[in-house]
Amino acid sequence: MPQRVESGLKGRVDWAFVFAVVGLTLLGTIAVISGATPLPYHEGIFQRHFIALALGTVLFLFGLGFNYQIFEDQSRILYGFTVVLMISVLIIGSTQRGAKAWIHLGPISFQPAELARVCTILVLAAYLDRRARRITEFSTVAWTLAIAGPIVVLILKQPDLGSTLSFFPLILGMLFVAGAEPWHLFTVFGYGLVSAAIPVIFVWLQVRFPYAESGTIPYLLMQTARMGVGTVVAIGLFAALGVGAWKLATMMRMQAKAVYFVAVPAILSLGLLTGILVNRQLKGYQRNRVVAFVAPKADIQGASYNVNQSQIAIGSGGLVGKGLFSGTQGQLGFVPERHTDFIFSVVGEEMGFLGSAAVLGLYMLLLWRIISAARSARDRYGFLVCAGMASIFAFSLIFNVGMCVGLAPVAGIPLPLISYGGSSLVITLWALGIVGNIYARRYSLL
Amino acid sequence: MIQDVTRLQERLGLLWVAIALFGAVLAGRLVQLQILDSEYYRLAAERNRTQIIYQTAPRGRIYDRNGVPMATNQPAFSLIFLPGKKGERRDLRPLAEQLGRELKKDPEELLETLQQAVREESALRLAENLPPQTMFRLSELKTIYPGVDLIVEARRLYPFKSAASHLLGYMGKMDPKSWRTLKAKGYRADSRIGRMGLEKTFEEELKGRDGGIRMEVDAQGRLKRILEKIPWEPGNNVHLTIDIAMQKAADEGLRASPTNKGAVVALDPRNGDILAIASAPAFDPNDILSFDPEVVRKTLSEIFEFNHAIAGTYPPGSTFKMIVGAAFLNEGKAAPDESVFCPGYYDTASRRFLCWEKKGHRHVSWIQGLTNSCDVYFYRMGLKAGGAAIERYARLFGLGQETKVALKGERRGHMFGPEARGKRGWWDGDTLNLSIGQGELLVTPIQMANVAAAFANRGILWRPHYTDRIVYSDRPEYKQRPEKIGEFALKPRTWELIDEAMQSVVSSGTGVAARIPGLIVAGKTGTAQNPLGDDHAWFISYARRPGEEAKVAVAVLVENGGHGSSVAGPIAKRVMMAAYGIEDKKPLPLPPLPGPAHPVPVLPGRAL
Repeated sequence: MPQRVESGLKGRVDWAFVFAVVGLTLLGTIAVISGATPLPYHEGIFQRHFIALALGTVLFLFGLGFNYQIFEDQSRILYGFTVVLMISVLIIGSTQRGAKAWIHLGPISFQPAELARVCTILVLAAYLDRRARRITEFSTVAWTLAIAGPIVVLILKQPDLGSTLSFFPLILGMLFVAGAEPWHLFTVFGYGLVSAAIPVIFVWLQVRFPYAESGTIPYLLMQTARMGVGTVVAIGLFAALGVGAWKLATMMRMQAKAVYFVAVPAILSLGLLTGILVNRQLKGYQRNRVVAFVAPKADIQGASYNVNQSQIAIGSGGLVGKGLFSGTQGQLGFVPERHTDFIFSVVGEEMGFLGSAAVLGLYMLLLWRIISAARSARDRYGFLVCAGMASIFAFSLIFNVGMCVGLAPVAGIPLPLISYGGSSLVITLWALGIVGNIYARRYSLL
Repeated sequence: MIQDVTRLQERLGLLWVAIALFGAVLAGRLVQLQILDSEYYRLAAERNRTQIIYQTAPRGRIYDRNGVPMATNQPAFSLIFLPGKKGERRDLRPLAEQLGRELKKDPEELLETLQQAVREESALRLAENLPPQTMFRLSELKTIYPGVDLIVEARRLYPFKSAASHLLGYMGKMDPKSWRTLKAKGYRADSRIGRMGLEKTFEEELKGRDGGIRMEVDAQGRLKRILEKIPWEPGNNVHLTIDIAMQKAADEGLRASPTNKGAVVALDPRNGDILAIASAPAFDPNDILSFDPEVVRKTLSEIFEFNHAIAGTYPPGSTFKMIVGAAFLNEGKAAPDESVFCPGYYDTASRRFLCWEKKGHRHVSWIQGLTNSCDVYFYRMGLKAGGAAIERYARLFGLGQETKVALKGERRGHMFGPEARGKRGWWDGDTLNLSIGQGELLVTPIQMANVAAAFANRGILWRPHYTDRIVYSDRPEYKQRPEKIGEFALKPRTWELIDEAMQSVVSSGTGVAARIPGLIVAGKTGTAQNPLGDDHAWFISYARRPGEEAKVAVAVLVENGGHGSSVAGPIAKRVMMAAYGIEDKKPLPLPPLPGPAHPVPVLPGRAL
């Protein structure tokens, strides 16, 4: 029997999926070589990239052949391992570019956050699978957050904002696909969204109305941001709106639960309070990124320089691009981080619309195949793992490419398979191997 | 359970729809960036990677009548700054401090300029016309600071320094206001423009079209390679009627004069060519192009832009006496041999008018009267001719009117006579004053040059002009034609008498200082009384070879210089000698030019 499984696996591999993975890796490798060439230390980058590529290929094949269900069985060990790993990063890790995110083991160094994210998917999928019957309960949402919480907090401690952010679409996506009550998701993530939106709104106000004291409404809003009387007024306003809406609803004899009219103002108020706290905690460079996003023209030389140069790079590529190693924006150093976060600009500039559309198209193909793998997964666990993977890849794609084309703020999120980054490449290929395994085992009776 | 599975598949479907929607948005954005707006971004990328440093075109040269360049160009080094990405004060501070030391500029000010260049992403010219030593020191900066570089440019050079400085003018920076209007004509913020004189008048002709070097730079502003060299188009050359030898004689003569203040105008009586036009104190226009801002500031603050030759008005003094002579001789009011006794004064009912010679000239007729400039003779003859006639003749000779020379700021002086006075009345005392060129009569040196020329050519008033021709690269040359502003006829005998008397002034009278062997020189001295200070020294004259027409007429005025005979005469003599190419054996002891003491750096090299 095992003989048949092994030989039969080949025939059940999703070749379109493999094509997308190989195609993206190939384009990524070309882009990394072109993007890193102007750097004085590019030889080390090439070396690490190809070692990671080899290691990743091995792990991809391993993941492809390794029964994913073992992860569900061993999810407690996996969870414990992940938490211990993230704690140890904070203890023995080394700091690069302001984040204590690296572990050195002899000649090898890697970023455990990448691994932690995939492990979180595997662990959460196991939990949600167990909770299938109670999936609509709010406690499920709460527990999911509680399970992911320590890992997220530990990564935020490093601090690695980009990696931290990517956990939220992952959790949201998995809960949603697992069948959680949308209202619960709305509550939790609405709160998160309001908390995140408040600093953006305040920064926008500061940029838009630099002399806020001159206008009544901006003035009131600025007062609100300072956690004083204005804040109390705003919360009171939310409460009044909730009561008013409820009165209106009862007058119109609508079937409405009172809890909604309590919950919405409560979420708004809590979000506002958290948002004010976040606003205070924002570091200078983070605030600048927000400024660059809300007002790209405000400071071309400063905060929005990267985004602006990236758009110029992509736009100037035109249909067919300037040719490899010939992109002036990338090669002359106008686009920063061109082999990592802004690698899509190198693709867009040097390979033109054809290249960037190819990357986008291959990514959509990959996502479609991951969704298909989920759809045809033999069990709920595989289904959930694939959904989590799809969420991660979609989030990374949307935010990274969105940042490069000026549609999303600079959040430091790399583009998996394309951006340079050894740990990311290895772990991503392994994760995709798991997806491939889920697809390959779709009809298996075991 | 079936229902549960359907629900999960639905959820998965929704997730896919969301992903696909975002994917479509990104695809749309890529289409917008790379296909629809690609041209815009292509240009933006091109602007990013290229920097143009403009190279000022060699300005058109200004030649004298014999083809000697009076304003030309020389290669000079300029220090440029190509801004990079690092525009923070702390990145630029070391550069600003070092440059400040080398260029003698305020480091803070430099820092501001550098930062502005970074903000505007435009290349900047930090210093021009660098002297070799500074250039070599600065070239070391290239290796330390990215974005600093040296280029060769054409620099304006005035080989004769202060000669004709008021005519040529100088080049200067534009003020921000005029740049706004000149921008469209291809001027850049750091372009230099003619700020005075011919440099200003012929700005359009002389300018040419600037070239440039298009360079590829990286994000730090480091020069990667030169993409293209855009050749410049030199400006058009202007040929003047000036004779540089005469001009030099005029300028040096004034500089060696007691006050270094005054004017010389030399005209060709045959056509109105200005052969020399000098105003003192002069300046060296080279100094205003110095790399050293201190020198520029000092020179500019000391420039005496007032052009005495056309805008200085003075009583003509005795140089007016020929006009008085023309009036009474031509009107037949007195015969040339009619003798007048000069006791040294002339009494009227109310007042005694003195002759400059207190001892008196005894018996004088026309020739002796002019030769010795006897005031009493002219008092008497002036009264015979009458104020109105003198005024009429003065007007014939162009006094009281502009000569219409194409120079800014020309003044017409002040006519003095019964008609000019009008209703306020005219008395004999006024006629007496007018007869010796005093009173309210005021003339400019260029008017007096025209008077001298009119005596030489017997009645033609030319409009003085300095342009001979302008040679355009793209159209036929412009040739200046002589133009008359007045012509009148006197009896030939009158002309002869005046010419004879003026010759006698130089051969045996007050003007012996202007005697030139081999030439017939006719002239008249003047020592104009000045109620405000020392007398002004005048000398007007013309010279010819025996049997030829006069080809030079000169008017010299030295403000507060004292006696025309000893101060103005020798200057006129040198100018006339230069006109006929006669070498002067004794060089003038020249005082140094005002302005900065050190020499303007001029690099060895081929003239452009």
